[in-house]
Amino acid sequence: MKKTILIILISLYSAAAAFALDGNEILKKVDRNLNPESFEMYRKLINIEPNGLKKEFLMYSVKKGKEKIASVFLSPASEKGRSTLRVGENMWLYIPNVGKPIRITSLQSVTGGVFNNADIMRVDYSSEYNCEKIETSDDGYVLHLKAKTSSVAYDIVKMFVDVKRLLPNKIACYASSGMLIKNLYFKNIKDFGDGIVRPAVIETDSPLYKDYKSIIIFAKIKKRKLSDEIFTLNYMPKVESLRQ
Amino acid sequence: MIHALRYVFLIVIFIPVLLPVCGSAQEEDSDSFDTEVTDFDIPEVDKKPYSFSAELEVSENIKGYDNDSLLFYQKFPDGTDKDTFFQTDFNLKAEGDYTYDIVKLYTRLNGTLYYNEDEHWETDFKAEEAYVSFQQSPAFSLDIGKKVFKWGKGYAWNPTAFFSRPKNLEDPDATLEGFYAVSSDMIKSMDGPLKTIAFTPVIMPVSDHLNDDWESETDVIFGGKIYFFTCDTDIDFMFLYGSEVPDRFGLDFSKNIFPNFEIHGEAAIVKDYVKYITDRQGNLTEKKYNAISYLFGIRYLSSMDTTTIFEYYRNGKGYTSDEFEDYFSLIETGYSQYHNSGQMNVLMKSRLHGKYYNRQTAMKDYLYLKVSQKEPFDILYFTPSVTAIYNINDKSGSIASQITYTPITNLEFDLKATFLLGSKYTEYGEKVNDYNITASVKYYF
Repeated sequence: MKKTILIILISLYSAAAAFALDGNEILKKVDRNLNPESFEMYRKLINIEPNGLKKEFLMYSVKKGKEKIASVFLSPASEKGRSTLRVGENMWLYIPNVGKPIRITSLQSVTGGVFNNADIMRVDYSSEYNCEKIETSDDGYVLHLKAKTSSVAYDIVKMFVDVKRLLPNKIACYASSGMLIKNLYFKNIKDFGDGIVRPAVIETDSPLYKDYKSIIIFAKIKKRKLSDEIFTLNYMPKVESLRQ
Repeated sequence: MIHALRYVFLIVIFIPVLLPVCGSAQEEDSDSFDTEVTDFDIPEVDKKPYSFSAELEVSENIKGYDNDSLLFYQKFPDGTDKDTFFQTDFNLKAEGDYTYDIVKLYTRLNGTLYYNEDEHWETDFKAEEAYVSFQQSPAFSLDIGKKVFKWGKGYAWNPTAFFSRPKNLEDPDATLEGFYAVSSDMIKSMDGPLKTIAFTPVIMPVSDHLNDDWESETDVIFGGKIYFFTCDTDIDFMFLYGSEVPDRFGLDFSKNIFPNFEIHGEAAIVKDYVKYITDRQGNLTEKKYNAISYLFGIRYLSSMDTTTIFEYYRNGKGYTSDEFEDYFSLIETGYSQYHNSGQMNVLMKSRLHGKYYNRQTAMKDYLYLKVSQKEPFDILYFTPSVTAIYNINDKSGSIASQITYTPITNLEFDLKATFLLGSKYTEYGEKVNDYNITASVKYYF
């Protein structure tokens, strides 16, 4: 009898533990595993057309906290010196010829292709989304995320998380109507050093851009202390000077 | 023969712009791909102390003369034997920098070699910017030299750009030539509702040899811009003070009221602004007043990737319709006098006064509309746009259609046709040209 009660108690505890899985806590851990609080990185963006033609962009980026990211294009020559800044839901683009920052939106794309500005200027998922439901499976967790505000690029996001590493394998992005906008595939787990182990490649495809594909490849992700003044309009023309 | 060659040149530039329309159908037949690109060999990551980049542009410009317009009479009182004006431009814009520790040297040079039948081969060269920058920390920098200060949030007009040359309304994104000045950036970021405050002071010496575009013989002009970022809104306050130039004060703002809908505005006052007004006889009088200019605008991105920019501009320095009619009447009188008696004095007077009246946006109230569609009909890297400028006061204006195509990285084709519309005695109706076609190819390296 005692043994039966013990089994029931253990079962109840396990069920409670599973129920108590906090999706938002998992989301925060995923954010931290994807990148440190304050860091710099290089990214190569590749847009691939159905006929195989490619356009490549090289960017240097710095990110601080949950919602500040600044980037500058290093190549191609036609884009060199363009910088982007995101502070929360505010996004700006600085074009050297134009000589002053202009406001842009998360739905636009400074590079063209399947990635939009929200993908390129990605801030922490936990700053934009609440986890409304969590499912567990043999492959890991499925986090059902809902945008905190209407200004977020994708209203609903389904994040498939590797339970062991707490890193996303795939993210499906939906409009509020439920229409699938794009899939993001996280590939090639790589040790960048200093405890940063994360996917080095993100691929994306979209039913809206049939047969087109875009890829982001990450390199030299390094923890770095960054001043808040870097993430301001006045500093946008000078982002490249942060490179060491 | 030369004209025929120019048209051939225009068509050669134009063909690549048309190609994507023909090529899109072929792309649809392409097989799906399974390309895996995971190599990340980027030698560019290693930073060098110097950098260099340039853009080379070749363009052909055709302007159609409006042989019955008053500004045509003013410029060509004897008429011309041709209906069109052709010009071929070879433009090279190069920029480079060298960094050592906290010191950075930067320059941007702009040189044009052009040919037209009136001037034949001519060159135009200028250093648009050349300055040394001391970047002590992200919060403080000091710049000394020739620099552009593009203040204001407007796209087509910037009444608060106190330290800037006027934009070219036909190409508001074009680079400008700066002024020699000492300036600084002091930035402070904070937590709380006021997230950023930044101060940009500017000191600009003026003499016969330095910054001589300013209508002042010897002066030191002080100015500054204070920027606030609060409540998801950009706000700037500007001022300019000089002992020999009118004081100026201004403010601007920009905010996204929806993710895809931005609003912006500017307002500026130029104290004791002097406007030069001619009567029908060419007598010039001065009118001194506080000129208030302002601008409101929106930028909207639709779900179809259509970007709309719309602005209303009130030019406090501008002329009224009556004042402009007097100027046109002066030209008409001068032209008649020249043809009746051979005397040029009245026409010459009108030419002298033209430096005030023949400027762009010379009247009071204007509207600007630009609609551009990114990659329509699935034609990648292809952007058509339409731009309209409307003078509310005399109901004249211009309409331009443009197509830009960048099929290959760093190579850009551009074709633009502008038509000026307006009746007699209107700003756009009386301009020298009634259409303008430009075809260009630009290579970045």
